[in-house]
Amino acid sequence: MNRLTSSAQPSDGTVERRLTGIALLVVSVWMLLLTRLFYLQVVQGDVYKVSAERNSVRSQRVQAPRGAVLDRHGESLVDSRPAFEVLVVPHETEDVPATLTRISGLTGRDLAAVQKSYGVPRGRARFQPQRVAHDLDRDALASVEARLWALGGVLTQVTPVRGYRYGASAAHLLGWLGEVGPEQLREKEFQSYRLGDIIGRGGIERLLDSDLRGRPGGRNLLVDAHGKELDLLSLVEPQPGRNVVLTLDHALQEAAEAALDREQKTGAVVALDPRTGEVLALASRPAFDPNGFATGIDPEIWRGLTNDPLKPLMNRALQGQYPPGSTYKVVTAIAGLEEKLVDAHTEVHCGGSFRLGRRTYRCWKKEGHGTVDLHTALVQSCDVYFYKLGLELGVNRLAYYARSLGLGARTGIELGGEMAGLVPTKEWRQLRDGTPWVEGDTVSVAIGQGANLWTPLQLAAAYSAIANGGTRYKTHLLKRIEEPDGTVVRSFEPEIAGEVPVSAGTLALVRAGLAGVVNEPHGTGALMRNLPGGVLAAGKTGTAQVVGMASGERVDTKDLARQHRDHAWFVTYAPAENPRIVVAVLVEHGGHGGSAAAPVARDVVVRFLERELGTYAGN
Amino acid sequence: MQGIDRRLIQNFEWPLFTMAVLVAGIGIVNLVSASPEQTTGLPDTAWRQLVWLGIGIVLLFATLVPDYRTLERFALPFYAAVVVLLVAVLLGGRIVNGSQRWLDLGPLNLQPSELAKLAMIVLFARLLARRGASAPVGLRDLIVPGILIAIPAALIVKQPDLGTTLILCVVSGSFLAVTRVRVFSFLLLAAIAVGAAAVAWLFFLHDYQKERVFTFLNPERDPLGAAYHAIQSQIAVGSGGLFGKGFGQGSQSQLDFLPEQQTDFVFSVLGEEWGFVGVAVVLALYLGILIRGLMIAHSSKDLFGSYLAVGIVALFFWAGVINIGMVIGVLPVVGVPLPMLSYGGSALLTCMIALGLLMNVSMRRYVF
Repeated sequence: MNRLTSSAQPSDGTVERRLTGIALLVVSVWMLLLTRLFYLQVVQGDVYKVSAERNSVRSQRVQAPRGAVLDRHGESLVDSRPAFEVLVVPHETEDVPATLTRISGLTGRDLAAVQKSYGVPRGRARFQPQRVAHDLDRDALASVEARLWALGGVLTQVTPVRGYRYGASAAHLLGWLGEVGPEQLREKEFQSYRLGDIIGRGGIERLLDSDLRGRPGGRNLLVDAHGKELDLLSLVEPQPGRNVVLTLDHALQEAAEAALDREQKTGAVVALDPRTGEVLALASRPAFDPNGFATGIDPEIWRGLTNDPLKPLMNRALQGQYPPGSTYKVVTAIAGLEEKLVDAHTEVHCGGSFRLGRRTYRCWKKEGHGTVDLHTALVQSCDVYFYKLGLELGVNRLAYYARSLGLGARTGIELGGEMAGLVPTKEWRQLRDGTPWVEGDTVSVAIGQGANLWTPLQLAAAYSAIANGGTRYKTHLLKRIEEPDGTVVRSFEPEIAGEVPVSAGTLALVRAGLAGVVNEPHGTGALMRNLPGGVLAAGKTGTAQVVGMASGERVDTKDLARQHRDHAWFVTYAPAENPRIVVAVLVEHGGHGGSAAAPVARDVVVRFLERELGTYAGN
Repeated sequence: MQGIDRRLIQNFEWPLFTMAVLVAGIGIVNLVSASPEQTTGLPDTAWRQLVWLGIGIVLLFATLVPDYRTLERFALPFYAAVVVLLVAVLLGGRIVNGSQRWLDLGPLNLQPSELAKLAMIVLFARLLARRGASAPVGLRDLIVPGILIAIPAALIVKQPDLGTTLILCVVSGSFLAVTRVRVFSFLLLAAIAVGAAAVAWLFFLHDYQKERVFTFLNPERDPLGAAYHAIQSQIAVGSGGLFGKGFGQGSQSQLDFLPEQQTDFVFSVLGEEWGFVGVAVVLALYLGILIRGLMIAHSSKDLFGSYLAVGIVALFFWAGVINIGMVIGVLPVVGVPLPMLSYGGSALLTCMIALGLLMNVSMRRYVF
């Protein structure tokens, strides 16, 4: 007790005397506050009441123009154009139904739509402008503005509307916009957003929303009881969003999409610069037109898109996973050479089929290829050669080399939702199915059928590494982000993801084979010959079976219903020596790679070479 | 010795507790109106404040359990812990609206600058009690306390949180009112204060803060910019008249003309919607709390208890004066929340703990 109260000393009265003084001081300060309040509220109350009623403050949020998205040559892909909208402030409008009817008549908009847009504002919303018609042209605006004097509480303003220059072109990649949802607003990261703000919902629009959106401004207007603007009290200018420059080349993107659209193909095209990992084109079809979402998406259209069995919202280039077909054979070839199971001269006889136990695995060429070495096997895509080699290697060694090329893992592109694909191993099968891996599975995998799944982007990235001599780059789509005045905020450099642990000699042999696919007699990629400027390309076809190989038979795909037809692959790079572009094409249910996918790839490569040679006279 | 004595329950500090709960209750009702419209139920902010109030009342009762004199021993460790927390905030605190004031503790955010106020009060009460009341205070006696204020004040001004720094300094300075200060010392102290203000002006204040002072001194300077809040806030309060416009009916409050109407400008919502009558009731309750606090200081049987009570009264007094003075246009715009009315968990908890300490001193005035 004593220890606790060591400081307890009898007071000499100082504190007590002071406390009385303090009490008096506190009471007088309080009286002063109260007097001031009495003056403000009771004496001057009516004056302030008038200022509050007659001159109320109307706060308007001013949206910032969203930044543009440009391709690598400065071609604008997405920008914002000014559009006009009409708003009604409920609190300032005497007869709302009559006003809405009037606006509907003046703008030519459906009355029901105007009423729906106005909604049922209550509470605080009654003091804030409600949008009743948006995206008006100048004529409609002019007719509203001419009557504005008679319409209390009605105002017009300019709001930027997003414009996707080329409609559905690169739609998956660019993304789309929507209004920020109430559930998002509760989260911390969206604290700078307000209900009704526009936010990126997909692609680049979503990824770089904070850069693109800029900072919304606001203005406080002094308005009288009739909503007439008396004075601008304060104005915070909106800060326009930043511009984003992509590595994309719109000319190539357009070529890829036009080629797919020509026969309404479903599929994807990826073009990369093998020297940097830059994405030059990234197309996915079917697509959608994000312009439809720019001013608030119609629920009907949205339902149509999400329920469409062809999944137009899916970005097939990085979300579609397909068996690689014969494009896989490079993995088997590299594994065989590296593991020294074969060399350039090892010969194998192909009689059109290969027997393992009681099952027969057919080569795509029924009569067989005769005696083939590695080069010929690649050029003519001989299945039997790779059946045998794959069986000797075993699935785990195949998986090791597939992974070393970056397959079965994300390539690192900035866009969300990239799929990792799948590279099967014995352990994987055991884990997933609980059944052991059998040799027959290895045979299928060795020619790219069976459990392997790759995205078109992965295939392009893997072939880039083969083409550039063994360096794996992270695929990337962003070149730089700039302020509206052109100051660079961030720029993105190529990033090396790793080196392929394979000898230069091995890669040279594989590349020679791929060049042969295009340029030698009986090559499956003959469509890539005769390129502009005499450039020689290299490539590989692939046909991925949708119906399993259970029968061990290869069925002619034309006899099947569309959804059972094979997927067609073609991957190519050009020039064959020192390549500057890699293009991977997948056509869903397209049949043979050489005939369905190669023409698409050819268009892209031709456009690329024309651009380089200066003979392409596009935009 | 310690624990809940029967006499403690008999001596429960009903007047203070009742007035505090009334003010906090008015605060929550007022927040419902000051918060953004929600389609159903109570607004989020009001809900959260209600939860904080519940926690605050539990803490208040917890504060009653130990004898307040135990606190004297913990004055220094408490102070040291608060300084550590303030450093932690500057190193890794959460940034909101450009200020780094909060420590992210998972579900809740702690604002250590609020705790700093309590720590300062407890520490000064102890220092003064050790000296005794009769010893005259010379300048040299102020060096150590000066440094003790300067450390947390510098850390808080760096966040930047000018309002809390100001409160910390004036509350600490208020202890001079209950000591015997030599006239010469007092004059020199005033000179130092002016000098410190000049240094702060030149090196620490942000442009927007200087702008507010200029605006206060000369409102015509920039009526559309920095004076805008002051003018709009006066219109809001003034237009409330004698009886106010009624709950949720304030056109000024319902417009987002004040960005801080749930926190620093919450009093203007009260003034507009409840009028002079409502404001007078709240001011009377506040005054009741202050006077009751001074009575507790008076009746405390030891110096530490008296000084503790004086410090807590000073905390409520200054926060009230600075905030209300700002809202009604007699003081410059400084971000000081109004105790128990402004939205904010840490601030409310600090108030409840401080009230708990006051009640603790009151209830143990016979226990000797």
